[in-house]
This record gives sequence, structure tokens and C-alpha cells, in this order.
Amino acid sequence: MTVIMSSLKNFSVNNKSRKWPKFLIGAGLLVAILFILNVFVAPIRNSFLTMSGGIQKTFWSAGESSSGFFGVIFKSGNLAQENENLKNQNQILLSQVAALQSIEQGNLAQSSVSAACQNSGFTLLMAGVTGLDKDILSISKGSADGITEGMPVINQQNVLVGKILKVYKNYSEIMLASSKNSVINVKVLQSDATLPEIDGVVKGDGGLNAHLDLVPINSKINPNDILVTSSLEKSFPKDLLLGKIIQKKSNDQQPFQQAQISLFFDVKTADNLFVITNYKR
Amino acid sequence: MWKKFLLIVILFYLFALLQNSFFTHFSLFGTTPNLVFILFFLLVFLAKKDPPARTGSYYQILFFSITAGFLLDIFTYKYIGLSIIYLIIIAVLLKKIQSLLQDSSENYPFIYFLPLFAIFLLAYNQAITPYLNWTILFSLAYNLIFATIFFFINKKCLKYTG
Repeated sequence: MTVIMSSLKNFSVNNKSRKWPKFLIGAGLLVAILFILNVFVAPIRNSFLTMSGGIQKTFWSAGESSSGFFGVIFKSGNLAQENENLKNQNQILLSQVAALQSIEQGNLAQSSVSAACQNSGFTLLMAGVTGLDKDILSISKGSADGITEGMPVINQQNVLVGKILKVYKNYSEIMLASSKNSVINVKVLQSDATLPEIDGVVKGDGGLNAHLDLVPINSKINPNDILVTSSLEKSFPKDLLLGKIIQKKSNDQQPFQQAQISLFFDVKTADNLFVITNYKR
Repeated sequence: MWKKFLLIVILFYLFALLQNSFFTHFSLFGTTPNLVFILFFLLVFLAKKDPPARTGSYYQILFFSITAGFLLDIFTYKYIGLSIIYLIIIAVLLKKIQSLLQDSSENYPFIYFLPLFAIFLLAYNQAITPYLNWTILFSLAYNLIFATIFFFINKKCLKYTG
């Protein structure tokens, strides 16, 4: 026992006393370096991403074509391409339906003017997708191209992608609608246009998933109902396509209805996106 | 020696680019393999103790942690330093666990590798972005497949290079 105690004592006196100052100096240096790096994080990240942009874009395109290639193999035929085309066509049609329903619901004349302003008055800036990490997408345009934080981002089918989260000189980060921090006011499009509008919010779950929440309990929602951004939404223009209801989650104890949804925006097929640069919130 | 470290830095960089762009198209339930973490873990796991002192090993794992952590932070759009600190902690803990396992032959078996990898990956993911749902299992399985492949590739390479 005495031997153990004395050896422990020796260890603590000799080894630890020698190790601790070294450890503290090392840790202090590391913290100081990290602090400096975080002070200059924007230029560091911008130059790093600019430097890697070319390779990243190549890898992105390679991944896109490879995934399509493997998809074709697995589906034994040209189904992947066909499916993609059908999806695109479907989204375009849904976009037209959304616009038409909006016109029908309100005053026809006023709605048509407002829709025309909404749909044609936007200035779009095209940007290539370079990377994705946990519901944050990076694009190859930044403050040098006129992008600022909060700008809405859509794809070519008028599907809402998300909004600009952070801007660097040549790069920007987009927070996808599936991000855990994303909450978007939506309306559920009804098959019968005379029925009252159903409002709700789409909340991101992370991992490219989201769900519909805060739908009044007395409102009738069904699978395949289409979700578009509502006029209550301040961050995004109204009537942008977002997703469709997959399954209603029934819970009598909650005051609102929830539903599992499928977002229309597919990150795997995103090559170029459009930033709305002149949307006034 | 410097060539080896340069190669490791290049590998980390390439893997960071691949996981953020190429493998995004092969995501399963929104999860992609964390290649940088896999390479980091493998390098630390297989880092040999330099006789007579073991400090060489610790400088090496510090280098691996800083390189991998920096790249993970740059491409995950978070504060720079979070991953570096977590990876240093993981590396030190892993080495401590390995020394407790007292594998004197330095021939670290695969049976140690997989469970340790799974535990540390889960811990790292929870520390970076805390979330608890069933996709964790897919993420884990997906990463384990890549980790297994990398482990055996590395073993083969070590065998040929001596």
C-alpha cells in the first residue's frame, strides 16, 4: 500500500508536474490559433472554397452522372431519365396549377396583376451548386455578384429551395427548407378551389426531410395535396412550390394536425439554382 | 517522412471534397459517408507507438486531428475549431483505450476497430449536430461499410509497403 501510494505520489509530482505546463501551453496555443482563425473565418473559408470550387464542381457533376448511371443500371432501362423528365414536367404543371388556383380564389383581375408581378418581376441570378453538408448547400456566387443574406432561392421549376444563410465574396450558403432551423408558412392547395385556404407551416427535420405542422384540426388534408408558400410568408414570394403531403399523422391529443411530406426539391438533381435578388420582404 | 504527411493532407482534402460533392448524390436517407472522419480514425487507430518514447505517436495524432478537423469545419460551415477539438479528444481517448487493451503486437484487429469506430462516430456526430432519430442507424451502417473497406485497403497497403 505504501509502495503504491509513494509511486502515485512520485507520478503526480514528477510526471504530472512536468506534463501540465506543456499541456497548458499547448492548449493555450491551440485556443489562440483557433480564435485567430475564427476572426478571419470569412476570408479563409472564401479563399478555400474558391480554390476548391473547380474540383468540387467536377466531383458534383461526376456524382450526378454516376448516380444517374447506377440508377439506370439498377432500374434496368432508361427509367431514371424518364422519371426525371416526368418529375420536371409534373413540377411545371403543378406550378401552373398553383398559379391558376391563386387566380381563381381571389379577385380575378387583381390576382392576375399580382401574379404577373410576382412571377415575372423577379430578377434571377443563376448559380452552380458546389457542395452540400447537412441541409446547407453551397453555390458558386457570393457578395461580389450581388447576393445578400435572406434572399430566396428557387430551381428552374419554380420550386423553393431555401434562402441564403451566409454570404462570402465568391460563395454563398443556402439553408434548405429541410434544415432544422427552417420554418416556412405554407398553404395546402385544395382540389376544389371554392374551399377555404388551409394554412400551415413546413418545418425542417434535417437530413433533407421536413414535415407539415400547425394545420388546424378541423381542416381536411389528404395525401398528395400540394404545398405552396403562403402570402403570410415574409421571407419568400407566395405560390412557390414546396412539396406534397405523403401521410397524415393522426394524434388526437395535439391541437394541430401534422403530416409527413415530400419536398419537391431534389438535391441530387440540382445543378444550377436561381437566387431571387430583388424580392422585397 | 514529410512525403507521407503531404500525402495524408492531400488525401484528407480530396476526401473532404468527395464527401461534400460526389457522395451527396449517393446519400441514403439524407446521410453521406464521412470519409474524412473514417480516414482520421483509421490513421489514429493504426498509428504506431514510436520507441523509445511514445510522444511521436501523439504528435502524429495531433497532426491528423488538426488537419481532419480543419477540413471538416471548413466544409461544414461551422466555427473553425469545433471538429479539431472533438477529434483531438477522440484521438487521445482512442489511444488510451488501445493502451488499456494492451495489444503489444501492434497488430490491431478488426474486431476492436468496428465497435470503437461506431462509438466514436456516434459521439462525434452527436457533438457536432445533436439529433436522435432512426436515420442515425443508416448513417452508422453506411459509414461502417466505408470504414471496413478502408480498413482492409489500408491493411493491404501496409502489407505491401512493409
